[in-house]
Amino acid sequence: MNATLASAAVVVRRTIAASAEELFDAWLDPEALAMWMRPGTIRSTVAKVEPHVGGSYEITMLGQSGPIVHKGVYRQIERPKRLVFTWASPGTELRDTLVTVDFVCVDKRTEVIVTHEQLPESAKSAHSIGWTRGLEHLDEACAQGLLK
Amino acid sequence: MGEYQSSRLDGVFNALRDPTRRAILARLTDADARVTDVASEFPISLNSISKHIRMLERAGLLRRSIAGRDHVLSLNATPLAEAQAWIEKYRRFWEGRLAALEHYVTNKKRKRE
Repeated sequence: MNATLASAAVVVRRTIAASAEELFDAWLDPEALAMWMRPGTIRSTVAKVEPHVGGSYEITMLGQSGPIVHKGVYRQIERPKRLVFTWASPGTELRDTLVTVDFVCVDKRTEVIVTHEQLPESAKSAHSIGWTRGLEHLDEACAQGLLK
Repeated sequence: MGEYQSSRLDGVFNALRDPTRRAILARLTDADARVTDVASEFPISLNSISKHIRMLERAGLLRRSIAGRDHVLSLNATPLAEAQAWIEKYRRFWEGRLAALEHYVTNKKRKRE
């Protein structure tokens, strides 16, 4: 219970003898994803990736009882430091959750930190409000530009 | 797991996101406590403590029983166990994936060299 009380997110770290760039790229390359996004009982994995902010991805793991589809949208792509994307799968009841991957250089190695959290409803609406406001500003800017 | 359980899990994770609410739960793991006692232990107003307590109640993490003028709070750990199961499942998943990522990247390097 104490682990739950300490944090509402899953945080997993691993220090790997490779550069941040090499590791970062393995998250956005479909061929690489097919190789390492393949847990124990999965026979093969197929990945489709649109590697830009707002772009979507789809990772299909072929399990013994059929395909398991993982989907999401990239929210932040800061090569080679940080990658943020939503993650929905049968394991999350097809609800969007949020995965943040940080790449931190440690001497000649890189610490990869995965933080996986549930996406609060309030944050989701705040996010859409943010977008709407952004678009309004854009409209204003365009209108002002036209007036001048 | 059904729709009901996953929306409850959302509520639990939202409730756990705040350090004051986590501290309130930690306080109640030791023993049940009156609302006024809990409030006196935190350096924030009774009003904000009440808001935190209501959110924990909505998430099903707290039970409130009323004895005369006293409102007594007790911890309900069942939703915490569900949250813990979710966390455990994804902790194992990501540990496995990062091990595979290491294997993939270091193998690729070795082939190149």
